[in-house]
Amino acid sequence: MKTPAVLLAALVAAAVPAEPGQARAPATIVDSLGRAVVVPAKVERIISLEPEVTRIIVALGAGDRLVGIDYFLRNHDHLFPLVFPAAGGLPVVSNPAQELNYEQAIRLRPDIIFSSPSEFRMTESIERKMRVPVVALASMGKLADLVAEIATVGRVLDREDRAAALTGFFMSRLEAVRRSVAAVPEDRPSVYLAFWGSLVRTPVSYEPVEAAGGRNAAAGLLPDRFGAAGATVSIEKVLALDPDVILVQGNYLPAERQVTVESVLRDPRLGSLRAVRSGRVGYTFGFWYWWDPALVLVEALHLARVFHPRTAAGPGLVPEGDAIFKEFYGVEGAFSALCRRLGCDEWTAK
Amino acid sequence: MSGRRNRKATALAVAAVVLPAILFFLSLNIGAYRIPPGAVLSTLGDAVFGGAGGPEPSPYFDILFRVRLPRLVLALFAGAALAVSGASLQALFRNPLVFEFSLGISYGAAFGAALSLVFLGRGFPPQAAAFVFAVAAVVAVMAVAGRSASQTVSILLSGVIVSALFQALLSLVEFFANPYALQSLIFWLMGGLGLATWGDLAVTLPLIAVGVTVLILLRWRLNVLSLGDDEARALGVNVGREKVLVIVLATLTTAAATAVTGVISWVGLIVPHLVRMAVGPDNRKVIPLSAAFGASLLLVADDIARSAASFEIPIGILTSVVGIPFFIVLLRRSGRLWL
Repeated sequence: MKTPAVLLAALVAAAVPAEPGQARAPATIVDSLGRAVVVPAKVERIISLEPEVTRIIVALGAGDRLVGIDYFLRNHDHLFPLVFPAAGGLPVVSNPAQELNYEQAIRLRPDIIFSSPSEFRMTESIERKMRVPVVALASMGKLADLVAEIATVGRVLDREDRAAALTGFFMSRLEAVRRSVAAVPEDRPSVYLAFWGSLVRTPVSYEPVEAAGGRNAAAGLLPDRFGAAGATVSIEKVLALDPDVILVQGNYLPAERQVTVESVLRDPRLGSLRAVRSGRVGYTFGFWYWWDPALVLVEALHLARVFHPRTAAGPGLVPEGDAIFKEFYGVEGAFSALCRRLGCDEWTAK
Repeated sequence: MSGRRNRKATALAVAAVVLPAILFFLSLNIGAYRIPPGAVLSTLGDAVFGGAGGPEPSPYFDILFRVRLPRLVLALFAGAALAVSGASLQALFRNPLVFEFSLGISYGAAFGAALSLVFLGRGFPPQAAAFVFAVAAVVAVMAVAGRSASQTVSILLSGVIVSALFQALLSLVEFFANPYALQSLIFWLMGGLGLATWGDLAVTLPLIAVGVTVLILLRWRLNVLSLGDDEARALGVNVGREKVLVIVLATLTTAAATAVTGVISWVGLIVPHLVRMAVGPDNRKVIPLSAAFGASLLLVADDIARSAASFEIPIGILTSVVGIPFFIVLLRRSGRLWL
């Protein structure tokens, strides 16, 4: 991650917007790899290989400009079909190995391609072979970078107003969560996250936990430069961390979960853990190919309720989640539908 | 000269027994959860002799008996299984490059685990699937070799073919795996001892124990078989039957270990060579010493994997990254491959 959020935001701000009535000039964007990319004034046909960017494009109301998306969002993401049903008719231009189908991509005549910063070589390769601007963007799990990313994509798509509205909404709701838990006198609970289908794989950085008034027990296990990468720990390490709360990634279909809340509670090796003894073991959404901007807000709300139950107020998580998804995607009942799909009504409706 | 050789043999025999035992007890004191050595002894003593429990349940018991002990016992057995299997196969095929990968065992196990994790769900656990397909791989090798199964080259060639097939099938499963299942599969393929439970070991350990014990008992016949087929026949050995027996036992031990640990590379190749460098090619010594030093090597590797960093280093990566350079240095010093 070469470009921090501050730099991205500064560069977005530096790109001078056109006066009303004046034709937009091509803008220069610095992407997450630190590459300066000149993007065309008018972007009508988009290929997005980075799921997080695709979600933002849809949230910005530019989903109809997508002409090709990656295989994960099209075939495996549980949420995306609910907020953007039209995705079902879009061509998939990448395969499970994240490789671009160049001939298909050329046929789709994109004005711009969004790629993943994790795929540096592919980004360079696409630009050389297709002679189309390629912007590598992703938050890499940092919430500030997600906000900057929304602004950047808004600038590229000439949707700055919508981007400003979304980032304003995002930051105000996140700040509200932070304020609500800051007032709680009790200590911030330490939280162990069992992600990616394993009890012993855990993200060393997971900002919704801190936003919701918790402490990631795995923070510091890997140097900061690894970002939100997962660390593999031993069962014994989990016992040594002795977290107050254990959260299992629940963003799986129930039948596909390798680790469940029940399996953690019944594991005799974990019986001495504070979290197990107090029954504070539950599910959380987690991320897949980084964030969905609406879901990460709901995640923060959910975690605040788990960590500090007394702060729970309002109509409940599901109605609040539906309202947040309506704000981002203009779709009614998307969060309720996701909950039904993931079988998470029980663990989110507290 | 003879006295000096006897002393060396005695020292190695003692080391073979003492080294794993010492490492085992030292390893009991290593881990992410700090337990004072006195508390390790007292907890063990309390468990064996029935000491008085305190008012609060101590996590020491859970850590020692539910986490560390199964892990260390698995390291001992899996290390011995991989090394003895490798040593036996190398002697049988008179080829220093043969180990569990050569007969398709590892890729068969990996493919089985992949099928389970990606397509079959929790109904068919990866451990069971890994075992079934490891055995299936060797059965396929024997079937491909057909009537010439007693021929070394035929079996090795069949092993290469079947390995390549399972490797391709594994890649195919990985390609079509959804990203959620793929994460679990990649993690399994890296190998590890940390998730072992007594439940897993209840099935695995007896299989390994039987396989390793019988292979050690067969060490005399391996000496005869390593002379070559014609010489072995001339000495009255049923070469075809003996080869199949050794292959079945090597498969049993390796498949049982791999099913629980995932793919741990190179132990089956490196340990027998190190032992031969120390004692020469006599399988009467090589096989039991391989068991002892394989167990010791995996114990040490696992100690490093779980204590060198704040996170756990996958042991499959560690055995390759550390084991191979170490092996190269020894090979260059000794200047030859023993067989």
